[in-house]
Amino acid sequence: MGIVAGGILTLAVLAYIFWPDRNPFVQRAKTRADYLIERRDAVYENLRDLNFEYKAGKYPEEDYTTQRASLEDEAARILAELDTISR
Amino acid sequence: MKHCALRLVVVFLVSLTVMGAGNDLEQRFQSLGHKMVCVCGCTQILLECNHVGCPDSSRMITELHTQLASGGGDTSIFNWFSAKYGPTVLAAPIRGGFDTVAWVVPFALSLLALIFTIWIVRRWKYRRPAHATSADIQMQIASDDIRERIRQETEY
Amino acid sequence: MNPQNIQAVAHPMPEFGSFCLLLALVLSVYTLVAGSLSLWQIAKSRAGRIAPEKLLETARRAGIGSFIAVVGAAVALVWAAFTNDFSVDYIRQHTNIALHPAYKFSALWSGQEGSLLLWAFLLTGYGFVLRVRHRVDVRLSAYASTILAGVQVFFLLLLNFAAPPFSIFQGAMPKDGNGLNPLLQYPEMVIHPPMLYLGYVGFSVPFAFALGALMMRYPGEKWIAITRRWTMVTWLFLTCGICLGMHWAYAVLGWGGYWGWDPVENASFLPWLTGTAFLHSVMMQEKRGMMKVWNVWLIFITFMLTVLGTLLTRSGIVSSVHAFAQSSIGSWFTTFLVITAVVCLFTFILQKDHLKSENRLESIVSRESSFLFNNLVLLAACFTVLWGTLFPVLSEFVQGSKVTMGAPFFNRVAVPIGLFLLFLTGVGPLLAWRSTSLKSIRRNFVLPCIAIIGAAVILMGFGVRPWKSAEAAGEIYSLLAFSLGAGVITAIAAEFLRGAGVVRTQTHKNLFASMLLLVRRNTRRYGGYIVHFGIVVLFIGLAGAAFNQSKELEMGFGDSVEVGGYKLVCQSYTQDSNPNYDTDYALLDVTRHGKKVMQLAPERRFYNASQTTSTIVAIHSTPLNDLYVVFEGRNPDTGKPILKFFLNPLVSWIWVGVAFVILGTLVALVPAIRPALASQRVRADEPALQEAVR
Repeated sequence: MGIVAGGILTLAVLAYIFWPDRNPFVQRAKTRADYLIERRDAVYENLRDLNFEYKAGKYPEEDYTTQRASLEDEAARILAELDTISR
Repeated sequence: MKHCALRLVVVFLVSLTVMGAGNDLEQRFQSLGHKMVCVCGCTQILLECNHVGCPDSSRMITELHTQLASGGGDTSIFNWFSAKYGPTVLAAPIRGGFDTVAWVVPFALSLLALIFTIWIVRRWKYRRPAHATSADIQMQIASDDIRERIRQETEY
Repeated sequence: MNPQNIQAVAHPMPEFGSFCLLLALVLSVYTLVAGSLSLWQIAKSRAGRIAPEKLLETARRAGIGSFIAVVGAAVALVWAAFTNDFSVDYIRQHTNIALHPAYKFSALWSGQEGSLLLWAFLLTGYGFVLRVRHRVDVRLSAYASTILAGVQVFFLLLLNFAAPPFSIFQGAMPKDGNGLNPLLQYPEMVIHPPMLYLGYVGFSVPFAFALGALMMRYPGEKWIAITRRWTMVTWLFLTCGICLGMHWAYAVLGWGGYWGWDPVENASFLPWLTGTAFLHSVMMQEKRGMMKVWNVWLIFITFMLTVLGTLLTRSGIVSSVHAFAQSSIGSWFTTFLVITAVVCLFTFILQKDHLKSENRLESIVSRESSFLFNNLVLLAACFTVLWGTLFPVLSEFVQGSKVTMGAPFFNRVAVPIGLFLLFLTGVGPLLAWRSTSLKSIRRNFVLPCIAIIGAAVILMGFGVRPWKSAEAAGEIYSLLAFSLGAGVITAIAAEFLRGAGVVRTQTHKNLFASMLLLVRRNTRRYGGYIVHFGIVVLFIGLAGAAFNQSKELEMGFGDSVEVGGYKLVCQSYTQDSNPNYDTDYALLDVTRHGKKVMQLAPERRFYNASQTTSTIVAIHSTPLNDLYVVFEGRNPDTGKPILKFFLNPLVSWIWVGVAFVILGTLVALVPAIRPALASQRVRADEPALQEAVR
């Protein structure tokens, strides 16, 4: 009885595994642009955080300016490369 | 009268020292009793072993009292117990020798790790950034347009 | 029909269970082999007779199938427990007829074989979710699924060959089983082990993702975002599991404490520490593209620690009160651990250049380095706990005699580390990313420092003076914990208020609504702060232990005792019995300042099936302290109960702290809402323009 139940389960599982897939899901390979967009989002997030913390009064003006400049440089570099790619 | 007062003072002083000794003995009992474990297999601290009918703890507590009363130092009492029950009777390794390693290693390693971290932090500080930038892109970065765009998109 | 056939017909459920385990093993092996083959083909751009994508899809489905098969096995075991099928040896050993149905479930994890089955169930369950949600990132999920299948193969090999849960009891069918360990017959024990296992097993998933991402040279850091929720959920389960275990130890074992530094407790704590370190340091990778090597190794180590912990506690290498039958299972785990370490090391060496950092550190005083120190401290704690757990083995090897590494060792070594961690909890969030100027430090640290000093002064005013005697020296840690705690709470409160202030100026809402919106906009950060707050509250609870008091005495009718402002009067003591156990208990009236507070009934039970006793502690809990009464037994001469009374200050803070930790993690799991850009907000203020936009 136990073996029979096991057999039925095996057949069901095998049918599920090897059932042909009508429209398989294909994933596009990640391009340099995708990667850059991810990086841009991360840097943007950092900038947004920085702006928020500055508004919350956590950082003095001069710290904020230098940090924003360096993050903007990073973002600009990414954006520039993105523009070059999409051109 | 004077004699009587002197006697009172003496009695008072003696009682103070006796009380002090009693207190001291109790304190030492508590402290030593918390540095040993019950050997019945419950792996609990000797004075916290809480099951009635424990075959060992009451005997061990009596032995501790006897040892304290006989005036032995802490080390000799620990030695006496570890000679009788084996070194596992001590709740932490305190016999010197290799036992010291148990205490030293965590701190030594933490210190080493601290030095290592500081070294890493310094190395990171002087590391060159991974991305090289072409002249064309360099030009674009400098442009105010791109900066304005970034600022607009990242306001909070 | 020969007798063997009769036996085969007589045990359909165990047979089905065994079959399911075998099927699960075969399917897992298929997932591993077909997955590896097709991923290799894809990586090398080679095509076999079958398209690698198609083969990969069958591997994924086989992985899903393995979960269904393991579910079948688990159902069979639980079924056997509920139907009192004592022909199954495992059921005979771990249940009995009179056992409450809720505890029949616990049979699944009360022994070696069952708990391994639970492990396999949860592992394939996690794998099921991963494989169903594969569209998040098909390629990465395929790698993770294949690696996870490798882990599945190991556990299913164990279940099929080393510790089979469905072995049939040889001999005459017994009328009743040996019963469940009485220590496990407690409501929390129905949730504590599954929670702990959910946490333990769950780390396999981030591990599989990290190893997979490294193997495939995953471009970018998105895999961290994909695994973030997995890691947090796992961490939450592990935290809940550990804390439920603490509460159980406190409420059941009856020695007045909640953490005994037992090897099994330590084993669950080790991956928690590295997992916590990982949760912090991945932020560096996400935000700055740094610490990639570190993170990969942290998650590798976390996974290996879960295996090592299991190895330590189940092989009999270290002795523990948590009884698992000692068995040959240790060599299996050792082999698995070695294979895992080799695979990790090999992959790492092969792909090391992929883990180059993208940024450099701008200043030593920055959030980045505070994360590094946080990691350092957590790893130091982890090493210390591991060292303390393993030193007895080392000592036996070096000097021929085992030693005990008990609470005195851990308390002395781990407490300073814990306090340093508490300090960093406060400092870290106040430092800026990249670099923090002196001016900024002054601006952010003044309030917390005032709070620390203020708290210390107030506490000293209330008589916490560690220098007054050698006995009170331990109070120094408590004093430090309370004052640091005050500082950290101030820092967290300041963060919330400042943030809410910004939202308030933007939205003109009241403070509470602004705070709520603030949290929703950055659930991760503020969820994290809530967790930190919980940790501080928990530390305050732990620090209370320095002021514990206890008393032990025999009490007859009408006898009374004073414990820390409470007066307890013994009203009666009596016996009772039911089919599962006999019980002895005392009824004590508790009064404070002459007013009756409540009645406590400490109990001691004798379980008939297993012939063992256990205590049911009576606890009266208030925010300030716990009155904790244990029925230790009866004096054989007088028949009177012997009771032990504890007054444990601030214990309830621990459980409140844990609740905050859970709340914070849940908040952090909620997706954040993006705040509107300032330009959009301006538009929203102008209805006419809004119309125009429409």
